[in-house]
Amino acid sequence: MKNSYNNLSFKKVLCITFFLFLFFQLLTFKSYSDNIKSSEVIVQKMIADAKQHALKTIKLSPEERSSKIKILIKQFINLDFMARATTGSFWKKASNTQKEKYKSALLKQIVNTIEEHLNTLARLSYKPLKSEARGKKLVYIRGIIVDHSKKIPDVNLLWKLAKDKKGNFLVLDLEIEGISLVSSHKAETMSILRKNKGDFNALLGTFTEGE
Amino acid sequence: MRNFDFVYSGIFILLFVLSGCSNNLKTTTENADPFEGLNRNIFAFNKSLDQSIVSPISSAYVNTIPYSVRKSVSNHLEWMDTPSIIVNSALQMNLENTILASAKFMLNGLSFGFYDFDNNETKIDKKDLGSTLAKFNVPEGPFLMIPLLGPKTVRDFTGTVSDRQSLSNISSKSLKNLSLVEIPVNLVDKRSKLAKNIDSIYKSPDPYTKMKSYYMQNRRKNVYGDEYLEVKNNKSDLEFEKLLQ
Repeated sequence: MKNSYNNLSFKKVLCITFFLFLFFQLLTFKSYSDNIKSSEVIVQKMIADAKQHALKTIKLSPEERSSKIKILIKQFINLDFMARATTGSFWKKASNTQKEKYKSALLKQIVNTIEEHLNTLARLSYKPLKSEARGKKLVYIRGIIVDHSKKIPDVNLLWKLAKDKKGNFLVLDLEIEGISLVSSHKAETMSILRKNKGDFNALLGTFTEGE
Repeated sequence: MRNFDFVYSGIFILLFVLSGCSNNLKTTTENADPFEGLNRNIFAFNKSLDQSIVSPISSAYVNTIPYSVRKSVSNHLEWMDTPSIIVNSALQMNLENTILASAKFMLNGLSFGFYDFDNNETKIDKKDLGSTLAKFNVPEGPFLMIPLLGPKTVRDFTGTVSDRQSLSNISSKSLKNLSLVEIPVNLVDKRSKLAKNIDSIYKSPDPYTKMKSYYMQNRRKNVYGDEYLEVKNNKSDLEFEKLLQ
């Protein structure tokens, strides 16, 4: 009698463990699919806003256009992350003022890059391809830029997103045809910093030289 | 002619040996650059040549020649490269690419490649000897900046030189003369297509490093494909997760 009672409670424990496991798996799956959905919405919104911006600001002066797009980009990218990712171990050695100056220089570079392609972007269309959760934090959104007039070949894009401290999904990196913007910017920044023995002011100097 | 063949073979062997001076960097994102000083000087030379001659010609080409004509020239240049793609696809045992490239070559051959009957619907991987050597696990070797040609690795430069040499060995004299005209036209055509990217590289704080980074990432993606992208993404995921903590 005691043995069958033990067997019954063991079965109960097994069932409860199984259902708990299933419940947590479902929760994790739901959280991953929520993360993917939120990231997809962010990318779609960013592209739609950029297109609208390109059409609306076409008659504005370059300075006005730049300041407007700066505000737009700030909403969608994790600038703090990008600044840390592109400076490696040198980031910790920089002062707060240097960090802020670097962030604004980096933003300016991103703005310049986007501005160069903004008018072209207005006549292209974006097609989402595939989204996937990578680990606990990262989400990859893959898409393609298509030119219906076929003057430009299709361009494959990969957006890497993660939640910031406030819980909003922001872009960490963009790969265009396999070329990562963060990787190329990091290679450049690290080369300048290594040459100048980690002097952040020298790095900031090279950014202002080209202006 | 015999002397030229001897020099050519010597260069080929030297480049091949040089490419063995480094490890196979398939899984790393950075490339060895032991000749950085020399490379930077050649980059400065290429840049000044580009800004004073190639870029103005390329702008004039875009502004004066209609798009349809430029497209035909572009198609023809791509068609001229197809035999090398066919041979290298076969060497890499890529049957699908070999068949597709051969079919496209024959079809477009009806117009000497000036018109693309396929309207770019068939996607063909651009295989060259550099990618064939990579397939046989030949290391990519140090990074080089070649006068007029731009960025290459030792392995890819070896491939480019031999691809061109083997093409001129098998072609007729008139085709050889045509390929002499093809080189500058190709240069202007490629410059016009990459105008925005090249100009944006020149504006960056360290244009040499930026160009090297763009070239290496793009070349590795084309040579190793998804395998390289997966390794690269796994590595960056780890870095990103660490930074997000």
